[in-house]
Amino acid sequence: MQTFRYPHFPPELSTVHVALFNTVTNSADIRSRIIRASQLQGPDGDTERNALNFAFIDARLICSLLHLQTAIYQAVLAHAQRSLRTKTVHSEILWALNPTNNASIRRYGVSDTATSLIVVRISSPDLPDVQQLMTSVVSGTLSSLNQLPEITDWGTVKKYHKLNDEPALKAAAKNVTQERIVVNEIVTSTVAMKSVSS
Amino acid sequence: MSETKSASLRLLEASEKISQGAEAKIYRTQLHDPVSLSESTTDGDRVLLLKHRFHKQYRHPSLDASLTKSRIAGEARALIKCLRSGVNVPGIRMVDATEGILGIEWIDGKSVRFLLGGGAEDDEEVIEDGDVPEGEDDEAEDEDLLKEYGVSEDALMNMIGTEIAKMHQADTIHGDLTTSNMMLRHPSSPKGLQLVLIDFGLAYMSTLVEDKAVDLYVLERAFSSTHPASEPLFAGVLKAYEKGVGKNWTAISRRLEDVRLRGRKRSMVG
Repeated sequence: MQTFRYPHFPPELSTVHVALFNTVTNSADIRSRIIRASQLQGPDGDTERNALNFAFIDARLICSLLHLQTAIYQAVLAHAQRSLRTKTVHSEILWALNPTNNASIRRYGVSDTATSLIVVRISSPDLPDVQQLMTSVVSGTLSSLNQLPEITDWGTVKKYHKLNDEPALKAAAKNVTQERIVVNEIVTSTVAMKSVSS
Repeated sequence: MSETKSASLRLLEASEKISQGAEAKIYRTQLHDPVSLSESTTDGDRVLLLKHRFHKQYRHPSLDASLTKSRIAGEARALIKCLRSGVNVPGIRMVDATEGILGIEWIDGKSVRFLLGGGAEDDEEVIEDGDVPEGEDDEAEDEDLLKEYGVSEDALMNMIGTEIAKMHQADTIHGDLTTSNMMLRHPSSPKGLQLVLIDFGLAYMSTLVEDKAVDLYVLERAFSSTHPASEPLFAGVLKAYEKGVGKNWTAISRRLEDVRLRGRKRSMVG
């Protein structure tokens, strides 16, 4: 797990915890738990929602740490300005990642078959044992975020962002490394400007 | 620190101001500070340039807010359009339309103006390489500046023409093409040597030959006013541009001739 600090944000939003889990075995469970938690009433519901108070992101759709951080940053910024378009700052990350305006949770959130998950928690600097909170929900191998580009499903990323016919990709088509740099740049920039796109 | 100050304004306070114009202030900053140093992220990724379109006292607040917002949005849209079209421009890193802040990729390099010996534009560059040499030995010094980047003057002109052609093929008009608004990305940076077009604050979409010709004309004037003996240089730009726009060249070059005779503004008579 890695932690990033944003001292200019209000304390309760100033700390971002990010972890990558590989060989995840309980994605379907996590997904149904989230759905159930959203419907639970009373103190039990609050406890369960608190236990699941993360963003769960399909790691195959993330190109780089910068891509992820950009989505997180824009979500936190929206929250700080009280202009969230979704219910929570965590779901706002999924909204920011999605280049179109529907199915952001279905595409970028946890699916039943996901084996690599990114888990994000936005909190105050003094939330203890965040990694413990994450591992108690996700059954998988905690991995280094440097592995992200190897997990990326570049074909699906290009499809979701409609990049296949773009001149930028045609120009870089011969060189895989070059093409990934270009895709990562377009995708990261798209996320950064989502709040003012169209 | 006052509680009423927005997060983005507090970010600006913690950033280094590097330039100020009439419309905006420019800052350099770092985002995404890791708490532990164990897994270091790519440092270059964390450096940003922030462009703050600050509040204009002379405008009504609500007009100011909506103008600022639409200009930030417009600049971001021009950049993304260029990125998708394969034009080298800075990537977008953060947008706060409410405060009028656009965060873009930091380009590690020098402006073309500087590299051609046009001098630093009052407050930019200088920091790293000291003063720009002036006088008769200018030419030799410029060659040295370019040598560090491994390009000749001709090759640089070629890169400029190619980039503008790609942009115009995507029907994007820059609106303020000057040698200060082009940077040469240092060959040692992850993306390698590139000519990067910057400052899309006046950019707009247009398919009109007129707009593309005027865009070129503005650059031609910028060349002749900042760089001595610029004619062969600009000819090199146009040669590469011609190749880049293909069959569209005939119409654009004819219109460029017209624009040279009458200037940038079209006569409204008749």
